[in-house]
Amino acid sequence: MTTADTSPRLAGSATPKTKPSFRLPAEAGVVVALVVLVGLLGWLQRSFLEPANLFALIEQAALPGIAAIGMVFVLSLREIDLSVGAVFHLAAVVAAVLIAAGIDPWLSALAGVALGTCIGLVNGLLAQALRVPVIAVTLGTWWIAYGLSSVVGKGQAITPPADDGGFFSTLSGKAFGVVPASVVIFVLLALTLHIVLHRTRFGYRVQATGSNPEAAADAGIATATVRLMALALMGAVAGLAGVIHLGAQGAIAPADGNDFALFAITAALIGGTRLSGGHGSVVGAAIGALVIQVVLSGMALLGIASAWTSFAVGVLLVAALAVDRLGRIWRSHRADRRQAAKRG
Amino acid sequence: MSDSPLISVRNLAKRLGGFVALEDMSLAAERGTIHAVVGESGAGKSVLARILAGIEGADGGAIEIDGHKVAIDSPNTARKHGLAVVQQQSALFPDRPVLANLFVNREPLQSGLVSRREMRARSFALLRQLGLAVDVGAPLGELDPGERQLVGIAAALLEHPRLLVLDEPCEALDRNQRDRLFAVLRELKARGMTILHLTNRLEEALALADQVTVMRNGRDVLSKPRSDLTATEEAMIGQLGLTLFPLPLRSLSNLAGTLRPQLTVSGLSGGRLAGVEFSARGGEIIGLAGLPGSGASDVLAMLFGHRRARKGKVRFPDGDGLPRTRTEAARRGICLTSSHAGVMADRSIAFNLSSVVVGARDWGRRWYSPKAAAERAARQVEALRIRSGSDELAGSLSTGGRQKVAIGRWLEIGPQVVLLDEPARGIDTGSKQEIYGLIRQMAASGCIMLLHSTEMSELAGLCDRVLAFRDGRIAGEVAGAEMDAAALRKLITGDTAAPAPEPATTSQRNAA
Repeated sequence: MTTADTSPRLAGSATPKTKPSFRLPAEAGVVVALVVLVGLLGWLQRSFLEPANLFALIEQAALPGIAAIGMVFVLSLREIDLSVGAVFHLAAVVAAVLIAAGIDPWLSALAGVALGTCIGLVNGLLAQALRVPVIAVTLGTWWIAYGLSSVVGKGQAITPPADDGGFFSTLSGKAFGVVPASVVIFVLLALTLHIVLHRTRFGYRVQATGSNPEAAADAGIATATVRLMALALMGAVAGLAGVIHLGAQGAIAPADGNDFALFAITAALIGGTRLSGGHGSVVGAAIGALVIQVVLSGMALLGIASAWTSFAVGVLLVAALAVDRLGRIWRSHRADRRQAAKRG
Repeated sequence: MSDSPLISVRNLAKRLGGFVALEDMSLAAERGTIHAVVGESGAGKSVLARILAGIEGADGGAIEIDGHKVAIDSPNTARKHGLAVVQQQSALFPDRPVLANLFVNREPLQSGLVSRREMRARSFALLRQLGLAVDVGAPLGELDPGERQLVGIAAALLEHPRLLVLDEPCEALDRNQRDRLFAVLRELKARGMTILHLTNRLEEALALADQVTVMRNGRDVLSKPRSDLTATEEAMIGQLGLTLFPLPLRSLSNLAGTLRPQLTVSGLSGGRLAGVEFSARGGEIIGLAGLPGSGASDVLAMLFGHRRARKGKVRFPDGDGLPRTRTEAARRGICLTSSHAGVMADRSIAFNLSSVVVGARDWGRRWYSPKAAAERAARQVEALRIRSGSDELAGSLSTGGRQKVAIGRWLEIGPQVVLLDEPARGIDTGSKQEIYGLIRQMAASGCIMLLHSTEMSELAGLCDRVLAFRDGRIAGEVAGAEMDAAALRKLITGDTAAPAPEPATTSQRNAA
């Protein structure tokens, strides 16, 4: 029987010798999609591959991309936050109004982010108190925030006066002369939040709660707190995107950020995050946002009527879901075969 | 060190809905011993485990640890007292890697970040001892049921508890895995860990325990050191479950003259299954025995059109061919009830009972008529002995009552083939008896009955014939006088060799 190894060292410090079988990272699919799309467009239109064009593209993807990487946390919890776009807009409007009122722009920006965080917290508290899914609560707060920003902004674009504190010049500036500031923030934030999701206890708890809420509670995870924190993070990230938009553009127009929630969810799904919770990829969502933006810009570059872009993004998402499904069928086949081989 | 027992439970009581799960449960486990709690399923073992885990609160009674009364009001409190509980259907995370499951909520940190290397290092030796040769980076959902169960046990052991509570730890394990687990548990006992082993298999308890407590209907009826247990007492405990099963209604003679419908399965393959062959006649209850993952429940799913078969021929009473969808199955009079299908909890009992008729079958009316549904439901509620009005919500019923509704909704269409997938799992003894009676009745009315269960005593008590599944094949068939839970268990675990090294089997012989 187990004669060979009956000396149990339960907390053994034995060197791990397990050889994990090779598995593709979850982001492989979306990386391939990005490379193929960029290659295809570059082949069709040389000018697409110019650095200036590529950076412009990433800059456009950065803000919805920031919303998407926040959304990954919410989706990993098996929830959906619809209020992202309105929070983005409200944070920008409030910051703009504060700057116009003569308050220091950096302080105003901080107030915008704090406002986003608060709306996220309110979302979480309401979902907890009313015992309803987050999607229902955030549909309500989307209307509320949208309404508030119309009231505060009076339905017009707000252009706060430029200052000498460097807020606008920093955010609309370019690092090393080529990389827009928003892109720098986007990349840093994606890397940070990737580590938060995959290497911190908070990230582990978020994914455990999404995978099996009851088991998570049984394991002693305070699932309500985890959900609250994830939604606050989502709100903070949306508010941050809002003030970056304000700083980079110097103004906030009424329609800005309208479609953020759907863009963010789409990007996360393309990046390999699942609606069923338990598994998320921040880097995947960031790349997913780039993929969507490549499709949008590429079609404009090729001279296809802009009316077709939404159609194309939809096709892309459905294709991504189909590929994911095929991958899972293949894996379960492989597992069956492996079992069959094991019993000979 | 005090000489009070590590844990003692006194007069614990718990009600779940209208049903008394624990009435007056007491036990005391000494330090460094393995204490088995034996009882048929439905006796309240799992509720006891959930109370000790801090998932549910007790309604009455006390729990003492080291002689001090404690209140275990949350999973974290339980953990603080050094308790680790492995639940029956292990509470795990299928999408997460094995490592994340092992260290859930206790991930080791290194400079603020979760350290996968540390997790690997800490779990390596234990996993090897348990014989778990799996890729720890793979999602748990890709593992076999047996491996998943071992992961659940390993996660509890990694907490280094003082008291380990195992609720039916061997349910999904094959013989090899079980032996390894037992070796590890004995080793842990020698190092001072106290283990509470909840099981419905006497021989499993006797193989491991120092002290045996027998549990019945939420009470402790006997508690003795293993060595003081006499042969007659062992025999008595072994007989406990058998009183549950009603005598078969001798109906076959009535049917003998008529043509009895027949179901023939030949060469059925797909998924885990390979070349399954059997036939069943109306009025017969055929049992399908197998460990989780052996494919026994997949047969039912295929016959119901819920899973695709790769190849194989199946002849139903009404013609050839497997149903392609579940709707087709329902229209052809094939029905499936499983333990996890459940009912629509937020709709009335009447709505639930008519869901099959309305959903799948034409019942002579174009529209759903609440009045007609209520009439039919009232009739069914009467027949099924559900103790609630048909207009109450199905969610207000106990688990047993819900299961009766789940079976009852099929009765309305007069099914020809009845597939039951663990119909009595996790429900109280009273409802169990009624469901067993119902199964016998359906058989007597000429239905072809296939019953899958992981509980061998259930199969042995209820079935005319039992097919034992192992690794997707039929490993043997037991019928008539040889019917015996121990014989079945040997077939499904592949234990053809001589009896286990422990004195387990002598007791079985005495019991027989």
